[in-house]
Amino acid sequence: MNLKTILTAGAICVAGGAASAECAFDNTVPLRSLTAGFEAWKAVTDAMAECGNFEANLDQEFSEKQPEAFAANPALYQIGGVANSTMIPLLTAGTIRPLDDLVAKYGQNLSPNQFIRVDGKVMAIAMMVNNQHLMYREDILSDLGIAVPTTYEEVLAAAAAIKEAGVVDYPIGGTFMTGWNLGEEFVNMYLGEGGQFVDDKNMPTINNEKGIASLEMLKALTEYMDPEFLVSDSTYVQQQFQQGKIAMANLWASRAGAMNDEAESQVVGKVKMAAAPMGSVAPASSIWWDGVVIAANISDEEADAAFRVAMEGLDAEMVKAHNDASVWLIPGYEPGELAAGAAATAAKGALPYPASAAMGVMHSALGNGIADYLTGAKDAQTTLVDIEAAYTTAAKEAGLIN
Amino acid sequence: MKFKTFAAFVGPSVLMMLLFIAFPLVKVFWQSFNVTQPVYETVEVEKCTPGFLTQICTTEFQTIPQLDDNGDVVTRTTYVGLQSYRNVLEMERFWTAAKAWSWSGIMTIDFWKALRFTLMFTLVTLPLVVGVGLLIALAINNAAAAIRGPVIFVSLLPFIITPVIGALSINWLFRGDGILTALLEHWLDRDLALFAQAWTIELMMMFYRVWHVAPFAAIIFYAGLQTVNQDSLESAIIDGATRWQRLRLIIVPHLMPLIIFVAIIHLMDTYRVFEEIVGFRSQGYVISLQWLTYDFLTPDQAGNRSISRASASAMLTMIGIAVLLVPLLKRTWRDHRGTS
Amino acid sequence: MSARALGQPASLRVLSNGFLAFWCLVAAFPIFWITVMSFKSPVDAFDDNPLNVIFGPATRAAGNGLSILDIALGLGLICATILYSMRRLPKAVRTYGAGRSMALAWIVAVLLVAVVFLVLFFVVLPWVTGLLNPVLGPLGRDVLGATTEHYQTVWVDRGFSNNFKNSMIVTAGVVSVSLTFGTLAGYGLARSGSVLAFWILIIALVFRALPHSVLVAGYLPVFINSAEWLAPILGENAPTLYGKPFAVIAVLVAINQPFTIWMLRSFFANIPADLDEAARVDGCSHFKAFRLVIMPVMWPGVITTGLFSFLLAYNDFLVTSLLLDASNQTMVPAIAGMFNRETTTTDQVVAVAAAVSITAPLFVLVMVFQRQIVSGLTAGAVKG
Repeated sequence: MNLKTILTAGAICVAGGAASAECAFDNTVPLRSLTAGFEAWKAVTDAMAECGNFEANLDQEFSEKQPEAFAANPALYQIGGVANSTMIPLLTAGTIRPLDDLVAKYGQNLSPNQFIRVDGKVMAIAMMVNNQHLMYREDILSDLGIAVPTTYEEVLAAAAAIKEAGVVDYPIGGTFMTGWNLGEEFVNMYLGEGGQFVDDKNMPTINNEKGIASLEMLKALTEYMDPEFLVSDSTYVQQQFQQGKIAMANLWASRAGAMNDEAESQVVGKVKMAAAPMGSVAPASSIWWDGVVIAANISDEEADAAFRVAMEGLDAEMVKAHNDASVWLIPGYEPGELAAGAAATAAKGALPYPASAAMGVMHSALGNGIADYLTGAKDAQTTLVDIEAAYTTAAKEAGLIN
Repeated sequence: MKFKTFAAFVGPSVLMMLLFIAFPLVKVFWQSFNVTQPVYETVEVEKCTPGFLTQICTTEFQTIPQLDDNGDVVTRTTYVGLQSYRNVLEMERFWTAAKAWSWSGIMTIDFWKALRFTLMFTLVTLPLVVGVGLLIALAINNAAAAIRGPVIFVSLLPFIITPVIGALSINWLFRGDGILTALLEHWLDRDLALFAQAWTIELMMMFYRVWHVAPFAAIIFYAGLQTVNQDSLESAIIDGATRWQRLRLIIVPHLMPLIIFVAIIHLMDTYRVFEEIVGFRSQGYVISLQWLTYDFLTPDQAGNRSISRASASAMLTMIGIAVLLVPLLKRTWRDHRGTS
Repeated sequence: MSARALGQPASLRVLSNGFLAFWCLVAAFPIFWITVMSFKSPVDAFDDNPLNVIFGPATRAAGNGLSILDIALGLGLICATILYSMRRLPKAVRTYGAGRSMALAWIVAVLLVAVVFLVLFFVVLPWVTGLLNPVLGPLGRDVLGATTEHYQTVWVDRGFSNNFKNSMIVTAGVVSVSLTFGTLAGYGLARSGSVLAFWILIIALVFRALPHSVLVAGYLPVFINSAEWLAPILGENAPTLYGKPFAVIAVLVAINQPFTIWMLRSFFANIPADLDEAARVDGCSHFKAFRLVIMPVMWPGVITTGLFSFLLAYNDFLVTSLLLDASNQTMVPAIAGMFNRETTTTDQVVAVAAAVSITAPLFVLVMVFQRQIVSGLTAGAVKG
């Protein structure tokens, strides 16, 4: 609030500028990237920018722009940031190139776990994984003598006990915002039950007892949630945690760091991480990855430079500087206490998100259709029938089924 | 004015509208009757994705589009007639529900749900905006000259503020234990969750819209009030007309063209209500027609989008606006004929 | 108004003024509130207790506070600036700008005032209070938590000034092009009694009723591939329209045209046709008559219409978020991006600070042009 702080801020800014340029080589080919805008991508693209001649575009509309921009000839961006699902349109349209040659040339520091292989060819280099897992208020659970829940039945029982004791009004938080978030919650539950979303002919297969069980569990959880659950996204749940309003939530691993942020959290050190609660087959969670792809419609020279720059972005130094920004797959990452939940979820056999063109349609149909069940407008059976009908219409229009 | 001169004057403007509105519109119209889709084939693919420490490899059947020799996706366009409109309207479900006299049944069909809200939103806010706008205008006109400037400035704030920001700030005030919700709770002495049921969200959206648009109406009415014929007002006073009579018989008729202008603009804008749905995240409870169009159009993460249904839904929205505007346009037509 | 001369019952006056006061409160409160939030630490900003949000104990505890002296001086400076801009500035501009372009004089004057204000407020004022606060005892003690760190984050670290510049480019482009095309078309339509003119107006009205999202989504592939399909016409230099501010300007101008030509047509229709008829009798062409007779009297209407164009371009989200690159993004999509990506509570307060920043230029604009808006509307731009 005075001149000194302003000057200090300026000085830090200048120092930040001077500290850069620690890139192994001097890039001379103009490069551009299009990625999502969250913190991990900021860290990675900042590290890439140290090589010079690089322009990062962190864009929240990236998934809408990427397919078109990579299909242009020459492609508007050389480097793309994708996740399981957003790679599908690029992959099927053939606008990203196989990376095997480049990996052989420049990829010595990559761990084999980072290669995303499709039909034997490396199509993307993964940099981080993310999944939803249980976060809980250790102090509340131990005060009441409740063991850490490992299944959703236990979560419900714990929630009932917490509510009974009157510690917090709403023991459970959930990213139940209508749309993608709510769809993802169903996907987690249904994967935990061992369900299959579509068959080999892309016909929907969710209207079964597993689907109904998943829906019923979602509804049972909402009984213990803030009644505004249909508008709560991960940032809101994270805030509820930080303000001590909830005791448990199945929240994204990338949000774990915020629980111990002294500047904004009132529960520093009290939130612990555990595996996602088990469904009847697997943990009710799905594993996501984010990674780098290189455009196909560019010259080999550009691809070469782009890959080298990308490798600089994904090196051990970057990870060291931003260790807690994410659950990195890059060698040099030291999993801290906050990554324990993500690791335990994976160790218990959580499945990868089943990304495919049909799944994209299904996820949207789920995200829009489930709210009617949770508000009580429809029963579980009707909800699933309607979601399947919505899926079929959309999939027919997309040409996925005839 | 000669045609050539006229063309020179309106040319640039018309050209812009043709390029960026008319052509896309023709395309939208065409798309609503045709479906373009990639030609898919099913192949067996082995995929490896990272687990936490080791890779997970799976073999599965995947549907992928065929590529031609240039590496472009092969697409096929088919004429489907009214199929896209049928998919949007879902008439069979509508009739089934209507025959069973099930209002809630109709309300589970997206289009009809959206239409119900859009119509209600439009028709409820219209009189409110005109009424509140008129009240503000009269009150400003009635205030001391010295404070008019600042008051007009403050009044205009809700109108000029960026809509996305406006909706968000209302959101903060009411969401969860937002400051105004806390105040209401204190007042009513009960726990409130304003975002937990449809009617409170609808109420807030209407409140927001009136808050946002009433200043526009007010400023236009205020400008109109400056040109009220003083002679007729004075003679009305001499004739012993009460304030209410003067308002009803002289001021409102004088403002009528402006009221119609505001009504037309407002009808067009509210029928396209969209920002409120996104800003208030209400799609779990209420949706609007333009939101439906937008939702069809937004690609899912795998890049699929329902362009044909979006086009059909957009055409339906246009038809809806046209129907609502007919009574107002009729009057403009009469005026035009009367003056020319 | 002579109605007042007849005297109103006290009850009516109280009612009328009371309503006005209530309305002003409702109108200003949300904006006031986000402004308050933007100066607090995240813990205070999202506190349940309104008093904590206003007084910001956590912010104060972190050593960021304002004393009564700070507040008094700060408010005094703000009031002085506003009073100066309202009372003295117009005169000064008229004196020094005489003979030169008035628009230019205004721009220079507004910039000058803004720079002086910023320097006084952020450099001189902290320095003065820094000296005086320790001396003054209770008056110099912090009572109100406030911090500008979020503004620093937005403008310095996040490079929001770049977004600001892009917004200015797009807005300036849209307003000038839209008004140029609009005044020409509006005049042509007002003076032509032809059936064609009527139908152009009706079709424009229908265009205005279109849901924009449908049109805009259609632009994206065309804009991205423009280098390919423009190549036969423009050869090697065919530009990629996607990510270019001028392409966005063109789209926004087109979307804005229907409203602009309607407004301006009604405005021109209210300027007596005898004026330019007389000029035409003297041998002027339509264009010359337009330039010599109409242009001098058209400014009230043009300013009002221009303001609406400004609002549309400045506030647009749909077109700019889709057709611009992240590197030349305007402010509104940038802020929406801040809210939507994986955010912490701090990020949200930073985004609130950005939201307040984006509102400030609108404030200034309306303050400066307020009288012109009313006079422009009164002069007939809204006869329907």
